[in-house]
Amino acid sequence: MKSTPLHILFVLSAVLFWSCNDQCKETRVTRRFSTVTLSLMELRTLVKTESPRLMEKPGKMYVKGKYLFVNEIKEGIHIIDNSNPSSPKFVSFLRIPGNGDIAVRDNILYADSYSDLVAVDITNPSSPSEVERLKNVFVSGQFEGGNWVVNESVGSITDQNVDYVTETVTVNCEENVSPNFWWGGMLVFADRAFFGSAASSSAPQSAGGSSGQAGSMSRFAIHNQFLYTVGQNNLRLFNISNPKKPVDFKNINFGWGIETIFPYQNKLFIGSATGMFIFDNSDPSNPVQLSSFQHGRACDPVVVHDDIAYVTLRTGTACAGTQNQLDLVDVSNASSPQLIKSYQMENPHGLSIDFPTLYLCEGEHGLKVFDVADKFGVDKHQLAHFKDMDAYDVISLGKTLLLIGKDGFYQYDSSNPKDLKLLSKIPVGKAI
Amino acid sequence: MRRKILFLIGLTLAGASLRAQELLDTKRKFYVNQTEFGILAGRVKYPNLYNGNQEQVDNKFSLTVQTFNGIQIDERFATGITVGMDWYKAALLNPVAVGFRYNLTKKSPVKLFATADVGYGFTWFHDDSEGFDTKGGLMINPGLGLKYGRKNGAAFTIAMTYKRQEARVNKPVLWDQTERSEERIYNRLALRLGMSF
Repeated sequence: MKSTPLHILFVLSAVLFWSCNDQCKETRVTRRFSTVTLSLMELRTLVKTESPRLMEKPGKMYVKGKYLFVNEIKEGIHIIDNSNPSSPKFVSFLRIPGNGDIAVRDNILYADSYSDLVAVDITNPSSPSEVERLKNVFVSGQFEGGNWVVNESVGSITDQNVDYVTETVTVNCEENVSPNFWWGGMLVFADRAFFGSAASSSAPQSAGGSSGQAGSMSRFAIHNQFLYTVGQNNLRLFNISNPKKPVDFKNINFGWGIETIFPYQNKLFIGSATGMFIFDNSDPSNPVQLSSFQHGRACDPVVVHDDIAYVTLRTGTACAGTQNQLDLVDVSNASSPQLIKSYQMENPHGLSIDFPTLYLCEGEHGLKVFDVADKFGVDKHQLAHFKDMDAYDVISLGKTLLLIGKDGFYQYDSSNPKDLKLLSKIPVGKAI
Repeated sequence: MRRKILFLIGLTLAGASLRAQELLDTKRKFYVNQTEFGILAGRVKYPNLYNGNQEQVDNKFSLTVQTFNGIQIDERFATGITVGMDWYKAALLNPVAVGFRYNLTKKSPVKLFATADVGYGFTWFHDDSEGFDTKGGLMINPGLGLKYGRKNGAAFTIAMTYKRQEARVNKPVLWDQTERSEERIYNRLALRLGMSF
């Protein structure tokens, strides 16, 4: 064989490959909003008890006695009998359209339903019934990044439904655009920012009457004879001295981008996009703003123990922060809170303190447990880091730890904080 | 996946070294090295986001180097391990592969040979940007080459092969996204020059 035909064969084979194209497909899951108009008249007829259903998009959680209340974002509330934490049982599903927050006093559950505050008698958890409704007390709100507003003159709610759309696009195989933090933040918006976080084994909510326990990202709090609710830029008080007959009591406008409320002793700690507000609540009917602790733009649940407030800031929230950190703030003088120290975190979400143990959710990075006795050396006293879970919110009940994440609701035996033992798990989308 | 491939490579080595023992008895040369460098030429067609999603075609050239170390099983056939480095624009990959070389012609001064490498591209030396996570993937690289040189001596080689390299990138999310990832397949014409002995 001579070399010429060889060369020809060789070149021919090359031609076959000549048209090689790189194939790069980018898959994105994007949040899409579609605007819907709902009739208030109809919404107000829809509160009812249904048979238990699966968790799909769990929101905030609330604990009262042996019952757990887990919000299904915009749909209602799962009522769960948790007398045996190793095997929680769904009791019923309380349908409340537009529900996001929960608070319980004695046998009355307070829930928001878009613009209304609904009081539900849960004496018999398997068939709760609506006992009172305060109309048009909330004017706007947000679920998963979608906004709703009430139009009182026509009696309608304009809401944005959220869908997650998966799309695949062809890209050029090299686009390496770093996400701009500002946009990144605005976007990820919902990463369930308004998702229940949970906090405080120091059980701040009680005092006078028996209430349950909410999370560090709750917008509802009960203290003495009042139910405190925060909206985007206001604090609204309801007098619940007769739990069955809540009365719209007072509205205080301040700040903006308000997210969370955490009552502690005779103070209210309010987390907003611009910082933390501290209200003196020694007269529960008349909270007075003492100070605001301003930090960067980032929102943040707050929990408090003694004179120290634990504030987390994270990126990827509605507040578009650029920091991922845990701040310890000295609030012994509530009129002038002072930073003790900042600690770098990965992506902190809800938190809960059972002094000296601090539980901190790190989103997809799991759950971290710190001993915070040494306020200047929190990072040196990390007791444990559980990575094999997705953690958004946590409530410490002393011996038990309730944790909620994207994939489900977990309960742990936390008698030894270094070694959490899984008691039970309710996976999202599955019955137990 | 990686484990399987490493296992396969191990097997090949073990097999080849056994065979080498037999070959030691004959006088034939049994160790083969072929070191090459070249370019990976390709194109990419995509809708350009910054230009009204009009379709755009870009040419792509990446540098590649690789070295094949193997055992001459018989006069035509050699097998061994190919280790290389490919500088793709957004990924630096290190393929580790089982390699085969087969002489299609025996006698002519210019020999035509077939070449094939199958393995996995690793990202050992790739440094991701903040938020990105690049993972390697399967690599196959069959083709033809010409060898100019003395029989069993040092030779100059030129090879034209098709290279397919997979990779996967997890990316930080942008506007209103909750997840973002990319499946990459590099389809390239690899043009290589090299030496073998």
